[in-house]
Amino acid sequence: MKVVTGVVGNDIHVVANRLIDISLQARGFEVFNLGVNTYLEEFLDAVIETNADVLLISSLNGEAEGWCREVKILKSKYGNLLDGVVFMIGGNLVVGTHSSDEIIPRFRDYGFDLVFHQVDLNTGLDALEKHLEDRK
Amino acid sequence: MSLLQEERDIIIQNKYADNFDFAEIEDFVKNASKDLFISHRFKNANKMLVQPRGGFPTYQKQYDLYEFFVNADVDILPLTIDSNTRLNDYATSSKMLKLSEENEVDMLNGYPLVNHGYKTTRKMITHFNKPVSLRHGTPDARLLIETAIASGIFEIEGGPITYLLPYSKNFPLDKAFLYWKYVERVCANYSKLNEPINRESFGPLTATLVPPCVTIVIQLLEMLLSLEEGVKSFSVSFSQTGSMNQDIVTGAVIRKMAKYYAEEIGCGDASVHLVYHQWMGAFPTDKNFAECLINTSTVIAAMVGADKIITKTREEASGIPTKEANAKTVANTQYTLRMLNGLPNVVDKEEEEILTEEVMSIMEAVFNDPADTLWRKVFNSIKNGTIDVPFSPHIINHNEVVTVRDKNKNIRIIKKGNLPISDRCFEYEKKQCDLNKDASSIVNDIIHDIGIMQW
Repeated sequence: MKVVTGVVGNDIHVVANRLIDISLQARGFEVFNLGVNTYLEEFLDAVIETNADVLLISSLNGEAEGWCREVKILKSKYGNLLDGVVFMIGGNLVVGTHSSDEIIPRFRDYGFDLVFHQVDLNTGLDALEKHLEDRK
Repeated sequence: MSLLQEERDIIIQNKYADNFDFAEIEDFVKNASKDLFISHRFKNANKMLVQPRGGFPTYQKQYDLYEFFVNADVDILPLTIDSNTRLNDYATSSKMLKLSEENEVDMLNGYPLVNHGYKTTRKMITHFNKPVSLRHGTPDARLLIETAIASGIFEIEGGPITYLLPYSKNFPLDKAFLYWKYVERVCANYSKLNEPINRESFGPLTATLVPPCVTIVIQLLEMLLSLEEGVKSFSVSFSQTGSMNQDIVTGAVIRKMAKYYAEEIGCGDASVHLVYHQWMGAFPTDKNFAECLINTSTVIAAMVGADKIITKTREEASGIPTKEANAKTVANTQYTLRMLNGLPNVVDKEEEEILTEEVMSIMEAVFNDPADTLWRKVFNSIKNGTIDVPFSPHIINHNEVVTVRDKNKNIRIIKKGNLPISDRCFEYEKKQCDLNKDASSIVNDIIHDIGIMQW
């Protein structure tokens, strides 16, 4: 399974990004890590270029909210090229404090299949594996 | 006209630059008080020098901060530069400076030196008459350094590797080498007029589980790049690793290796100093715990035998510290240092031997790169992962090296990527750790090892 990952926007927090990379590799995924400071278009282009199964976007400083509202519009520009790709997002998704109950449906609506706000990394990746298993 | 002078004339044409009068500046440096030179302080100091961190946007606030520091018995004053200036965005720093002045709110995270200019800043620096150290993080620091030296700032921190790999995703590394070559030359030229200008490398790097051999190699290479341009006074540095023993071993090896390699390139006449950074990783939010951590760092620095210590504050976890908190650390650190006399001399022969071998293997691989100049050899070595800094955000960094802490909190390499260390050393590193765990537990260990001081 191929995963494209990176940190969205002008966020430069690199530590979690590296840990996601290491964890995914440890779980047997082939990882294409775009690193910090990555724009939405770059993510989608990389998914197509690598023929990835999963796109895992992360955010630490909360910029995700501002960037990810455009996922759906952008996705539509790619026709059916992104059909079947699992869109996942995790980290600290908004600036300030909001409850997960409020945030999860909002990001689902933006076009994400799996949404994890302030959830432990391994819990999130367990859920990703289960999701991929269930889909088979 | 020399190429350097031509480049200079272009740089100072920037519309935000002060009106440079090089004849006057030369005269100023020639006749400047010896007390402004840290290289002079190092020569005559019989104690570890204490230097805090700090920079405020306005002249007045920076002046007030210095007054607090002087009252707290500071040895070296810092001048920390704001992040816009670090990216050469002087238009934004100029706007934010005006807003800070008009509204008495700090709109910058440091002192915008280029906007203030050297004529103004020099007044403050000569008034306090203490050595000032320039702290920034700038890949292209050419104008900044011209302004700094003209202001009376005779210590310049940074370097092409240590100011790029931890701070930037895609600033071109080859350009950084050339911009810093300019800085070294300017420092070397001014060093001929009075006491030498001191250059200092930034050893903490990402401050996230960086193995000592990588830190030391980068310190040595930045030192060599500086000395080969004619710099005569240089400080190598590193930050608290989390293990007292590893710190002591690192200190011993870096001193020994710096002397060895400086002599190798025929620059044994330069003086080399050792700087220790108090813990640079994530700090505890509890301010009392933060003070305990700071105090322990000071004790370790004394065991390491550092020539200078750079301090943190009890407010580290919560943002830019107040001048009160900052000055308090200076006073506390001086107090602790006065207690620490006649310390035992701890030597761990086996660890020193392993670390020395690792450093020498990597250095040898760098020197064996077929490129024609040292900076190109170093550039290629970073590109191919011979040098690999854990947790660097830069695209050129290899990101293949993985480290964890052993039971004594020493940082160990468990995946070496392209680091050219011998099997013997790599086996030794791995032997110290419990690797019979599944991969997720090791990732959890890494997360724990990064945040080690928060619990």
